[in-house]
Amino acid sequence: MVVDDHPIWRDAVARDLADDGFTVVATADGVAAARRRAAVVLPDVVVMDMRLSDGDGAQATAEVLAVSPSSRILVLSASDEREDVLEAVKAGATGYLVKSASKQELGDAVRATSEGRAVFTPGLAGLVLGEYRRIAQSSTTGPAGGAAPSLTERETEILRHVAKGLTAKQIATRLSLSHRTIENHVQATFRKLQVANRVELARYAIEHGLDE
Amino acid sequence: MAQRPPDPATPLWRAAQVFRLLSCLYALGFQIAVNGELDRPAIGWALFAVLIAWSAVCAFAYLRGFGRRASWVVAEIVVVVALILSTEFVASGQWALDNQSWPTTLWATNATISAAILSGPAAGMLAGVVVMIASTIVKGFINYDLGRNATIVIELAVGLAVGMAAQTARRAHAELEQAARLAASHQERERLSRQVHDGAIQVLALVSRRGREIGGQTAELAELAGEQERALRRLVSSADAETPAGEMTDVGALLRKQASDVVSVSVPAEPVLLDTPTATELSAAARNALDNVAAHAGPQARAFILLEDLGDSVTVSIRDDGVGIADGRLDEAIGEGRMGVAKSIVGRMDWLGGSAKLTTAPGCGTEWELTVPRR
Repeated sequence: MVVDDHPIWRDAVARDLADDGFTVVATADGVAAARRRAAVVLPDVVVMDMRLSDGDGAQATAEVLAVSPSSRILVLSASDEREDVLEAVKAGATGYLVKSASKQELGDAVRATSEGRAVFTPGLAGLVLGEYRRIAQSSTTGPAGGAAPSLTERETEILRHVAKGLTAKQIATRLSLSHRTIENHVQATFRKLQVANRVELARYAIEHGLDE
Repeated sequence: MAQRPPDPATPLWRAAQVFRLLSCLYALGFQIAVNGELDRPAIGWALFAVLIAWSAVCAFAYLRGFGRRASWVVAEIVVVVALILSTEFVASGQWALDNQSWPTTLWATNATISAAILSGPAAGMLAGVVVMIASTIVKGFINYDLGRNATIVIELAVGLAVGMAAQTARRAHAELEQAARLAASHQERERLSRQVHDGAIQVLALVSRRGREIGGQTAELAELAGEQERALRRLVSSADAETPAGEMTDVGALLRKQASDVVSVSVPAEPVLLDTPTATELSAAARNALDNVAAHAGPQARAFILLEDLGDSVTVSIRDDGVGIADGRLDEAIGEGRMGVAKSIVGRMDWLGGSAKLTTAPGCGTEWELTVPRR
């Protein structure tokens, strides 16, 4: 399923994916449409733009996962790796790719996402790293409030390597680990942020009486 | 006619004219009370009429705004001094000694206030001193007893206080204006960025992508479109970098400006604030390292910048995947005095009280790790 508010882009991405052997089950231009269609078609992978007609990609990611929890979200964004991408990862996206990526790279990324592997860039690793540090700093000053997510030493080391532009293979060689282990570690860092985000949302809802 | 910007000291000018009115009433009372004691009462009244007329003209000029300039204020001081000096003419020397100088110190203070509002505390105090000198000349001696003659103290205090109030009002106004300007330009950039983003960038990206697939000459066009797309994207994302947040600057924004096709920049989502000189030096050191990459790492080399905020310190790593430096080559280069750039990086970091670490191996590129402590 392809979600993008730009019709030419949406069609181009859908065509590229079809050429590459994928079945595009639906397209959508906004958050509401994405949620409606995802509930029906239960897509394996959603290729998600960050700017949509009626909201942003992070919002759409959360809503699609709410109606189709088995879907995996790959963010394909023309925007630079900033807050909105981080928000999408917190909402449950497992991959991120810029729109300047080639057809080949897009196909590989969708395949990796569908296999449950994380797709990431140095920029995204830097953002995730920064987010954990922010959480670590704010939880020492503010109330502890349960277990704040934190990175293991190994995860920090791997994220730093990714952010410095080393490929998973190069990191694997350096740390004498398997390529797959590296990806698992990166994915674990994403997942912990998602869980923390959900916990935070739930706590917020309970505190503010929005859970009724 | 060019519209003059509103004077932030306008409320002070208005208040000063209220004071002027009160001081005129006081001078009138004084005039009525002492008139019988004057040597030449008729001239006294004539001069008083001049005083009232001049006060009215001044009030009008200051309220309308055309009087708020140096020449006008100097004229006011001159008139005040002249009227004070005229005491010698209308009254006896003994009277001048026994009384406050005509036409009352309170009224003379108007000149001090005007100078202070126009040009700040120094000018206000200077005008106060001039008024004091005039009244001293009339009395013929200097009264050192500040307990009995508080005029000089009051003149200086009024000049200082009103001058500082005017200065503060102007500064606050200037800051407010700048803040409003920054906010407006920021908003405009945001708007532009959204438009460029939704239109030009998307289409360029699409052209570059389709073009590459078609191949041949179209691929060249695609390459150009791709370059422009990346350049525009960087431009849009670094637009906010030009807004320094006062004394603190976001190092991340400075570093993002270095991004290019061969330089990837990873920064946290939150701004990493350092005081502006530190942020600038750190970013300049990173730039030096990038220059080194461009010069020595080979044509295929890509560089990666990572900015990390560790709370009590900030670290910038600059890694490249170029040819690296062979064992011993580094010392050799230092021996030949060809490590200018490295020296400059180390020098900058020393100056910041931080550290610079270089790791390299042949074929593995080089990596600088620059760390500065937060003060």
